[in-house]
Amino acid sequence: MRGRDVARSGGPELEPSLQHPSSAPASLPAAPTRRRLLAGLGAGLGAAAAAGALAACGGRTSPVSPAADPSPAGPSAPSGGALTIGAIPDQDPEVLQRLYGLVADSMAEATGLAVTYRPVTDYAAAVSLFRTGDLDLVWFGGLTGVQARRQTPGAVVVAQRDIDEDFRSVFVVNEATGLAPSEDLTELADLRFTYGSQTSTSGFLMPASFLTEQGVDPRGFPGGPGYSGSHDATLQLVASGSYEAGVLNEQVWVARSEAGEVDPAVRLFSRTPPYHDYHWLLGPDAVERLGEDLPERLQDYFLGLSADDPDDARVLELFGAGSFVEARASDHAQIEAVGEQLGLLR
Amino acid sequence: MSAGSRAGAAAPVCAPVGAPDGAPAGGDAGPSVPRLRRSRARWAWGVGAGVLLLWSLAGAGVFSGEVLNPAGARQLARFGAGALAPDLSPDFLRLLLGSTLVTVAYAALGAGLAVAAGALGAPLLTRSSWGRRRTGRLLARGAVAVPRGLHEAVWGLLLLNVLGLDPWVGVLAIAVPYGAVTAKVFADLLDEAPRAAHDALVAAGAGRTTALLYGLWPQAAGGLLAYAFYRLECAVRSAVVLGLIGAGGLGYQLSLSFTSLRWDQVWTCVYALTAVCVAAVVAGRAVRRRIADPPAPRGGRLRRDRVLVVAGVAVPALVAWSAWYLAVSPAALVDDRAREQLALLVSAAWPPDVSGPLLVALAGAAVVTVQTSVVAVALATAGAVLLAGLTTRPAHRVAVPRALAGVLVRTALLVLRAVPPPVWALVLLFVLRPGVLPGALALGVYTLGVMGRLTGEALEELDRRPADALTALGASGAAARLYGVAPRAVGPVLALALYRWEVAVRDTVLVGLLGAGGLGALLALQLAVFDWPAVTTTLVVVVALTLAVDLVSDRARAVLR
Repeated sequence: MRGRDVARSGGPELEPSLQHPSSAPASLPAAPTRRRLLAGLGAGLGAAAAAGALAACGGRTSPVSPAADPSPAGPSAPSGGALTIGAIPDQDPEVLQRLYGLVADSMAEATGLAVTYRPVTDYAAAVSLFRTGDLDLVWFGGLTGVQARRQTPGAVVVAQRDIDEDFRSVFVVNEATGLAPSEDLTELADLRFTYGSQTSTSGFLMPASFLTEQGVDPRGFPGGPGYSGSHDATLQLVASGSYEAGVLNEQVWVARSEAGEVDPAVRLFSRTPPYHDYHWLLGPDAVERLGEDLPERLQDYFLGLSADDPDDARVLELFGAGSFVEARASDHAQIEAVGEQLGLLR
Repeated sequence: MSAGSRAGAAAPVCAPVGAPDGAPAGGDAGPSVPRLRRSRARWAWGVGAGVLLLWSLAGAGVFSGEVLNPAGARQLARFGAGALAPDLSPDFLRLLLGSTLVTVAYAALGAGLAVAAGALGAPLLTRSSWGRRRTGRLLARGAVAVPRGLHEAVWGLLLLNVLGLDPWVGVLAIAVPYGAVTAKVFADLLDEAPRAAHDALVAAGAGRTTALLYGLWPQAAGGLLAYAFYRLECAVRSAVVLGLIGAGGLGYQLSLSFTSLRWDQVWTCVYALTAVCVAAVVAGRAVRRRIADPPAPRGGRLRRDRVLVVAGVAVPALVAWSAWYLAVSPAALVDDRAREQLALLVSAAWPPDVSGPLLVALAGAAVVTVQTSVVAVALATAGAVLLAGLTTRPAHRVAVPRALAGVLVRTALLVLRAVPPPVWALVLLFVLRPGVLPGALALGVYTLGVMGRLTGEALEELDRRPADALTALGASGAAARLYGVAPRAVGPVLALALYRWEVAVRDTVLVGLLGAGGLGALLALQLAVFDWPAVTTTLVVVVALTLAVDLVSDRARAVLR
């Protein structure tokens, strides 16, 4: 490797050729490089064009686009039609998003539709995809559901979980604050405070509304509130003491407490009044495509899921539900009013 | 023979990763006998930089009140423990394998399109094409500043609204901003390449295109190819960020596990990403070495260089496979639905919101963004300089412990940049009080991962003779470094820091949410509530800020040269 050393240390132009007894001119290797570059470029463009043509001919479906892998369990007879569904749960999303095959299969079997589950992580993205018709049936949170209905006229509320009729959030504090459980939220006003995700009904919207009711500025708090991004992150941040208080959905709090996963430094401070949250929302395109009775068929499926049937039970468990029940658009009027008040709905 | 000749040869190899604006590495082709005098301009810039840093640190609250939260060490330890016990269950690994392929495909196709766009766009930006018509060239450069000024994640969200769940979203979110950057860097490389052949062709009556193709491109080919590989590695990391917004792949799995704070799974994703990045880095390095230092022709005959042939075939093949795997269809870009959604988006987003309260909020957020980026880059630069001794691959044979330490540090840097900034932001918030600092440090740690590598490479390209001479004269290792390496390294390293500053301003979009504020937090809220007119205004401010930082760092780099 002496040759490299000399070249790297900036020796005179002639020296490389001294290193090589063949005494080939030092500049020659550049020529094949150029030719190869051009040839490679040409080959690449050709190959890419060929691949593009192949894909365009429909020889393959994308691993990330809506047309991919309709559930094989469905009879998928042409009369059945295809339904694309999605969900953004806020508890253990990785479990549902990775086991979504269960949901798609179960729904396909019961409704006779070819059901495709499309995983999405971003609330706003799900709302947009519902509007564009990429997603037909989505399990939305309270606020995102209202947002989606406003952007997609004609959307129908299909069902909600039993717990969504009586959904609550809990305020938690770090033990170092010394606060005892109380109904008085004004005690939180001078603490460093974090919400969950900005568009979460239980992690931001309804708690902010209850704070407002008690005269606490929901966007006040010393240094401004944080948005942890998820209920579990809120728990950990309050446990660390970086934020002295926070709010999360009660379902997650109960699940983590029962599993003994809550840090002892976190104390329950207050439980909010009940409100409605998650629900299944069906887009108008799907109804047009698959028939007027589609909302009913889907509702029959959801309401028919029984915890006694082992297959159904697994689906219900993925959604953290005991059963699904009827839901009406008016259930979310409170959320709509609060959302407008807080500037989250336009 | 001055060292300048070597610097000229090194420039194309190092410039792309160094600074898009030319050749920072050993860049001064000045007089062979340097005059010893203080440069007033440099002093002014130095003092200015110091003031900016102090102001940013003050803004981050370093001089006022508590910033540490030692009680959160347990949560931080849990994150660290995940690194030692990643989730290696067969089901999860199988899941990650598929996701890794998606990420690789996004990165390869995105970077491939970006390089193609860059190669086609570069002639529109070079000095040689515009000659003395400076206004035209400035306008052309201004035009690429818009796609360049927005982060890939922002592009992803905008494209998602137009194209829906189409694989093009991930591909174009990488290709559009990268294409603009690549065009600018390629143009700079072409401008820096020796012009004799080009001028001779023009003098001999060749057309402008012919002169460019045969006189300039071949001269710059090495640098262009090296930069293309560098972009590929960056694209892998960008593809992961896009997964966070729902484009699929490794980033998607990472974000799912991150939501529930399943650190063991997060770390498995990070390791998978690290492996892909290592492959890209090793391949890029092999190609760069071959171009910078072609092996000796044997027997006086020119032979094909196997490494370059393999690279020349494998890269287009990878791009082609990506297009096939993702099943992208050009028709989806222009179909009725895309046009309809684009019209809908434009009508919702125009005219921009210019109400007083929003502008005030934007001004405040812009200040926070600048402070965040300055603190981040200062931390990254300091760290990269401290680690430079270990990140630089030794030219001579060294003891085994030293070599091992080097490998360890380089791998650690790779992991630092494989963990996405939003994850760093949450983890650092466990042990820091909320505010600008956790976000700035998160970005700083991530940038250190990038800067550490670039600094090491820049130092490898330096002229080693002064240090060797000092050592031969009996100087200690430290003295040789201090007097033989440091004076030459200051320019390239600062140029790198300035270049990363621009990038950091864009990246602040990712870390604003946790009480840190800044333009990113504002943008996230506006996107969450679909306030499109305000989004337009914010994006204009982001692009303007990026442009301003670009101009300032451009001037500063000119002073350094």
